[in-house]
Amino acid sequence: MTKQRFIATTIYLMLLIVALITCDLCFGSVNLFSLDRSDPLFQTILYDIRLPKTLTAVVAGSGLALCGLLMQSLFRNPLAGPYVLGVSSGASLFVAVATMLISSVNISGFYFMGKSIVTLFSIGGAFFVTLIILMVSRKNKNNVTLLLVGLMVGQVLGALQGLIEFMSSADNLKTFILWGMGSVGSTTLTDVWFMVPVFFAAVIAGFFLIRSLNAILLNEQYAQNLGVNVNRLRVTIIIITAMLVGVITAFCGPIAFVGISVPIASRLFFKTSHHLHQMVFCLLLGACVVLAADVICQLVSNQLMLPINTVTTIIGSPVVIYLLFKSKLSVG
Amino acid sequence: MIAVKQLEIGYRKGKHPVSVFSNMNMSLDAGDLVGLMGDNGIGKSTFIKTLTGNLTPLSGEITLNGKSITQYSAQELATQLSVVVTEKIGGFNLSVWDVVAAGRTPYINIFGKLSEDDEAIVIKALKQLNLLPLKDKLIDELSDGQRQKVMIAKSLAQQTSVIVLDEPTAFLDHSSRHHLFSVLKQLCTEQGKLIIVSSHDLELMKTYINRSVTMAEGNRLEVL
Repeated sequence: MTKQRFIATTIYLMLLIVALITCDLCFGSVNLFSLDRSDPLFQTILYDIRLPKTLTAVVAGSGLALCGLLMQSLFRNPLAGPYVLGVSSGASLFVAVATMLISSVNISGFYFMGKSIVTLFSIGGAFFVTLIILMVSRKNKNNVTLLLVGLMVGQVLGALQGLIEFMSSADNLKTFILWGMGSVGSTTLTDVWFMVPVFFAAVIAGFFLIRSLNAILLNEQYAQNLGVNVNRLRVTIIIITAMLVGVITAFCGPIAFVGISVPIASRLFFKTSHHLHQMVFCLLLGACVVLAADVICQLVSNQLMLPINTVTTIIGSPVVIYLLFKSKLSVG
Repeated sequence: MIAVKQLEIGYRKGKHPVSVFSNMNMSLDAGDLVGLMGDNGIGKSTFIKTLTGNLTPLSGEITLNGKSITQYSAQELATQLSVVVTEKIGGFNLSVWDVVAAGRTPYINIFGKLSEDDEAIVIKALKQLNLLPLKDKLIDELSDGQRQKVMIAKSLAQQTSVIVLDEPTAFLDHSSRHHLFSVLKQLCTEQGKLIIVSSHDLELMKTYINRSVTMAEGNRLEVL
């Protein structure tokens, strides 16, 4: 991809994000244009509800797309992604455990402590599953085996989460179910400031991996022979993925489809393998997808927020299948 | 250039070493086209992985330009020795240019940006193997013979004095095999590279190589 085309595509995607952010801030059950700017209701809706939701959509979309890209390159498997390989399920289970613990020791009044515990548990769960998947991938190079193991791990963790939900109180059960559907609309600005540092640290770390990621697309032996420290690369990707998926899942629930499909769509649309390009496009495209999904949620139902997973999966999956069939190019 | 002394190769199963071949001694020089021969499972690929730093020797040592390969950092070794393996690569939009440019990995910054000099080296490597017209093609669109040439071009772009090829003729037809070996021979004679190539095609080997290393049952090693 030429430098000019890369810059032009980046600008187009950024303009699209600006347009989607504007739509996401404007659409909702209350028409902001009907309110006076000095009206406290305007301030509350814009700054306490819609802005956190929009920023969360950007962070969640970009973060999950980055995780998907890193996992697909590391495993050299286009089917890899945090949701498909059970990493999100690991985070979810550990969030369920943390929520149970918090409610049982009654520290729910301490906002930061509660959020910190849930986030740390979520990161721990994501880290745990990523390690399992990595060990399996080193024992067995078969892409289908890796995918099946990921699905099975996800099923087992899902069943364990079901068990926890079964034993929890009615209030906790309702919280689990709503949270499990995925939402960017339940965060506050404080939550966003929780996510942003982790997100930027992960993005910066990701950019430092570009040369190694380009080399590992050949295969591990070639990458090692090209001077890449493959073990260090693996560990760094596990940490980035666990941190990002953990934090995003803790605040938004397990968001499906974005992590696997955005890197695939990015490769199909932009036809480049260079990770500088892919990383920028995935970050921007991921944000676009979740913002668009949130806007669609608002448009479909003004009064009742649809779960974001419903939109990302129903609309996104057929789009990827169509792209895969339409394109004669291999994506992995 | 490469000296192998009392080398024992193999792998570790847990903490236990599993020896595959032992008592290996040889000395290989610049400009040699070395044929590595032996039956399946005798340890040719294990030897190649040890030579390229992917496996550590169980005992003994391999020196490259007087320095043990275990003392080279991965980055340093990447500027001295390159490898072409049997496993096919592809997918992920990898083009011919991307793969050959990957040969510059040890020399470029962490963001993977090629300098003008790097690009010139990649173009030269592509030209040497008549691949320049294919530079924008995807690897998946190439024949097996063309793929092997791309991987050799990657090694040329890596600018190493030693190139090691593991079974490069495995997927090639008769004429592609001869073409590949004539390219390798040319690189040895014109650029003074040391090329070590493993293959089961004895007739082909005899036609082109000037040194041979044969591994046989009972740790018998014949170096000619």
